[in-house]
Order: sequence, then structure tokens, then C-alpha cells
Amino acid sequence: MSAVAKTERKAPRLIGIRELVLLAIIIALLSFFIFSGREKTIWAIVFEFSIFAIITLSLNLETGFTGIPQFGRVAAVITGAFAVGALPGRLMAYIIGEPWGAEYANAVFNYRIVPVINELLASNIFYSIGFLLLCLFTAAVFGAAIGWLISRPAIRLKEAYLGISLLAFGDFFMWVGHNWNIMVGGSTPINVPDPFRIFGGDRFMAAVLVLFFIAIVIYIYLERLTKSPFGRNLKMIRDNEVSASAAGLDVVKVRTRSLVIGSAIAAMGGGLYVIYTGSIGAIGFQKLTFTFWPWAYMMLGGIGSNFGVLMGVMLLVILKTMIIVFRYDWFAFMVNVGIDPMWLEFTLMGAVIVLVILFVPHGLVPEKVEPVLPEERVKRVLAKRQLEKTSEPVS
Amino acid sequence: MSELLIAKNVTKAFEGLVAVNKANIVVKENTFTMLIGPNGSGKTTLINCCTGILKPTAGNVYFNGTDITGWKPHQIYGVGFVRSFQIPLPFVGLTVLDNVLGAMRNPGEMPFKATSKRAWIEEEEKNMERAMEILAKVGLSERWDMPSSSLGAAQLKLLEVAKGLSSGAKMIALDEPIGGVDPASAHEILSHVAELKKEGLTFFVVEHRIDIAAPFADYVYAMDLGTIISEGTPDKVLNDPKVIEVYLGKGVGSTCSE
Ligand SMILES: Nc1ncnc2c1ncn2[C@@H]1O[C@H](COP(=O)(O)OP(=O)(O)O)[C@@H](O)[C@H]1O
Ligand SMILES: [Mg+2]
Repeated sequence: MSAVAKTERKAPRLIGIRELVLLAIIIALLSFFIFSGREKTIWAIVFEFSIFAIITLSLNLETGFTGIPQFGRVAAVITGAFAVGALPGRLMAYIIGEPWGAEYANAVFNYRIVPVINELLASNIFYSIGFLLLCLFTAAVFGAAIGWLISRPAIRLKEAYLGISLLAFGDFFMWVGHNWNIMVGGSTPINVPDPFRIFGGDRFMAAVLVLFFIAIVIYIYLERLTKSPFGRNLKMIRDNEVSASAAGLDVVKVRTRSLVIGSAIAAMGGGLYVIYTGSIGAIGFQKLTFTFWPWAYMMLGGIGSNFGVLMGVMLLVILKTMIIVFRYDWFAFMVNVGIDPMWLEFTLMGAVIVLVILFVPHGLVPEKVEPVLPEERVKRVLAKRQLEKTSEPVS
Repeated sequence: MSELLIAKNVTKAFEGLVAVNKANIVVKENTFTMLIGPNGSGKTTLINCCTGILKPTAGNVYFNGTDITGWKPHQIYGVGFVRSFQIPLPFVGLTVLDNVLGAMRNPGEMPFKATSKRAWIEEEEKNMERAMEILAKVGLSERWDMPSSSLGAAQLKLLEVAKGLSSGAKMIALDEPIGGVDPASAHEILSHVAELKKEGLTFFVVEHRIDIAAPFADYVYAMDLGTIISEGTPDKVLNDPKVIEVYLGKGVGSTCSE
């Protein structure tokens, strides 16, 4: 029997034609940037992809898999951004004996303290890594906490009501951050210590690579989380709450878990955004960018499909960047009909949502209905058990 | 035989409409107890009140000696009482097999364990084997890997029954499990149910098609306009003039009972 167990290997999952075509399009679009001499733009694209992949994957967990109408994604993103802007830097300030109270969020002190911390971080790779991990941890903890808090009054509500209360929470958090000066400086942006300073001149490229790596790790984590009995429970609740409850699931508990995990991940996205840009200003976190865009990415990619989400984010980030870069080369003619291409990328997202609903309602890479375990494996297990059964009387 | 499910004076009103009116029901352990009655007589509502889908307006429900009135469906599942739905409620995003597996428990349902396959694969494989056995019993094993949304109406009913059977509960309430299924398959399904009874399970079955179901029943309740109008052995209830009357209509009933 152990020999059988040893030879058991996961059946190779063939990548579909659809996915290949999409990958080819993405590579073609990216090489277009290279051939037109804009390699730097690619780094910007990968940065944006990484941040929004993390945020959109988290949205997909809650909305695509669990059926929660998460119209307040921005709340958890802001929480992560604020937590990373306010706490790890203060801890460092405290350790090195600088002011860490309300003064830390005062621009005058802040602009003096943060460079000192940066110098310390840059002196040792382990300090840098430790600080980055501390930031991620802080973001995740606060994100999870806010996800839980938000879920308390809202989780029992039905779709539209749940959606609107999540939306309200999102805005609420932005305005709290914007006005609560002693946390992250309110309306004046403050600096955040930079764990990537150690890479010197390659700082931005290194940061992008690390962010990309983290996004991929989160993707793998979510793939495993959703291809499991837990993921099955999420889909049961999404597909039919009453039936899921009758099948023994505590709907409130499972939905809460999804919201907490999703919020923790979204908060990491917000935290990483702050670390990358090196500063935080509350007003920068708008629902247009951090709720509406992720929805557009998810709908284009495929609700309920993690890989689809990656494709959706990548494609739209590329298109958006193209519009921004070539705005006046390609779209200047629009001025003649009274449209300033200045706002074209915002129009793009709205247009994408409408077109997706009309033509590809399930997205470019629709969710697949497949067994939690790969089909080959199910067959093999069943065949093996059958064999054991029939051979039992003999032995 | 102990009394497993007791509904005491259960009443359910929907804004004035009294769907169930002071219903008293006792389901003894390891029996096949049937609930019959014309459409709209309140059978589904009574089951809903017993399994936590609805909260009774008045009255109490006891299961295995515990007062479960007003409990949530998953809590009632937890004490070993599950139900199937008259109108199938499949999980359309899951395969037929996963629909059945979803009603079984597994350590991998905890998020911290879910990401490590080693923590749940063994249980999953065990469950899978049982799920396939149940699917074979209801005649769906060929379709285990199909999306449940691809099933026809009758097959969805069978899947609904399979979901109920898979839970490993002490008692299963089946709400019209063979409605819309052809007579031969219907008989087969009820035979499987009768077989499971031998393993110690208890069944509370709502059924319209008395001719097919009655031979399996140990005890029958008949309901009309929200009230239990007759109870007893199948023979007794089916020959009760009150029952004949509601099934055949007043005019015919009166000539029949002469
Ligand atoms: N959720 C509900 N809201 C209002 N009325 C209902 C509801 N559910 C059932 N009813 C009414 O209660 C009565 C009994 O219905 P039901 O229990 O489904 O009967 P049965 O299962 O015996 O056919 C019917 O008149 C039905 O219209
Ligand atoms: Mg009914």
C-alpha cells in the first residue's frame, strides 16, 4: 500500500487555451512598452499589479467565493495603510529614543525622525527584513480586527443592506484618518520608514520585486485556501445560505472568517502601498481607486477565479497605463468632440464594467466547477478503495 | 422505542395566515414516520419549524430530550437532525460530489488547516467514499463530477436526498423526496431509505404519493389546513373518513364514507 501512496502524484493541471491567450496578450502588451523604449513603465505596471492583485484577490475571496457584496474594500486598505503609517515607525522611534507620541505624526518632527530610522534600517539587512515583516504583521492584525468589527453589525444583513453598510464604513474610515491628526498627520502626509533603503539606487526595482513576490505568495495561499473544504463551505454559503445552514454550516461564522481573512490581506495591500511610496496621506485612499477599481479588475478577470483576477488586474493596469502614457499621442483627437483625454482612464473602468456585464458576464477566466480535489485524484482514490473492498474477503 | 422528535402545540402564522395550528407530532426512534396532506396544508412549514428554518410562533420542539425551539439549522444539524428541501436548493457552483461532501464535516473547514492538505486529505477521502456510496444509492454516481447545475429537476431532487443522507445524522426529515421522480426510481429510493432504517436511523418523510410511500411507513400523520387531523398506522389513517374526505374532496368523500 505504501508503494501506491508513493507513486501517487498530483495530476499535472494543464493550463487552458483561454489562459494561454491571455498570457500571450499580456506579454505582447508588455513588450510593446519595451520596444517603445519605456522599460521603466513596466516597473510601474508591476508595482501597481502587485498592490491591486493583493487587494482584488482579497475582494474575490469575500465577494467571489463567499458572496459578500464587499463595496467597502477601501476600509481595510486604509486600515492597513494607517496601521503601517502609524505604528512600526513609532516603535522604531521609541527604540532609538526619539519622540514617538503625537509628535511623531507632526510633520516637523516626522521629517527629522524618519531619516534617522531609515539610516538604522539600511545598516543591516535583517533590520530591513524585520521591519518589513513587522509592517505586514501590523497591517494584517489591524485589517483582521477591522474586518471583524465591521462584520458585527453588518454580517446578518441581506445583500443590498450589507453592501451599503460596507460602503459607508469605507468612507467613514477615510474621513477618520483624514481628520485625526495625531495618528498619521491627518491632512498633511507624513513619512514612513523605508525597509528598501538598503538597496540604495536599486531601491525601487527591489521594492517592486519584493511586492510582486508577496503578491504571488498571497495568490498561492488563497488558491490553497479556496481549494479546500473551507473554500467549499464559502461557495455553499454563496450559492445558497439556507441550504448551507441546513448542511450544518454556521453561516455567520463562516462569513465572518472570510471577511476577516479578506480584510487582513487587503490591509497588507494598503500597508505595502504606503511602504512603497514612503509616505501616507489619508486623502489618497479613495473608494474609486480601492473599491471600484478592484471590482472592475475582478469582474473582468472572472468572479470566483483567483487566476482570472490576476489576469484582470494585469490587463487593466496595462491598459490604464497605456492611456496615461499615450494620452496625448493617441487620444488628442477627442478634444475635438469635447472630451479631454485627461480623464480617460477613469472612463475606462466604467466602460469595462459595462462591457463585461454585456459580453463576458463571467469574466475572461470564468470560475470552474470542479471537485475540490483534482479529478484524477478522486478517480484514483475511488478505484483504490474499490480494489481494497473486493480483495478483502480473499485476504 | 424512545421519542426522538416531539413537536408540542407548534403554531406558525404568516401575518394572519395560520399555516400550522397547534400541531402535535411524535416521531419515535428508528421509525419511518410519514406526514401526508394536500398541497398547502402546512407540511413544509411544520418541517421548517422543526429544523430551524422558521421559528414557530408558539409551541415547542424537542429533539432527543433537548428543547430545540428556535435553534439555528446548523445547531440542529449539530445534535443529529437534518432535513432535505422540497424545492431542491443545490450549490450550483459545486460538482454533484461536492454538494454531498459539503454536508459532511472535515478538519479542513478550519481556515488554519485548510491550506495544508495533509491536515484534511484523509478525512476527505473517507467522506468521498461514503458520498459515492450514497450517490450510487440515489442513482447519481455516474454524474459525480458534473456541475450540479447540469442536473434535471428529478435528479436535483435525488441530490437533495443524497445531501440529507450523507450528514450522518440520527434523524432525517425528507420533504417530498420522490416528488417528480418516476415510480420505479421512487420505489428504489424509498427501499434505500428503509435499508438505512435498519442501521438505526429515523425518518420523517413528507410525501404526497401515498401509494408508493405508505408500504414503508410505520406510522402516519395526516394534516389539513394546518391541523393534524389523523394519526396512526398507515392502514388506520388511510381509511380514516376525515383523510379520505380531504383527499377526494367533500362531495366524493361523503359518498365514499357511506
Ligand atoms: N414564507 C411564507 N410566507 C407566507 N405564507 C407561507 C410561507 N410559507 C408557506 N406559506 C403558506 O402556508 C401554507 C402552508 O404551506 P406549506 O407548508 O408549504 O404547505 P405544504 O408543504 O403542505 O404544501 C400555504 O397556504 C402557504 O401559502
Ligand atoms: Mg410542501
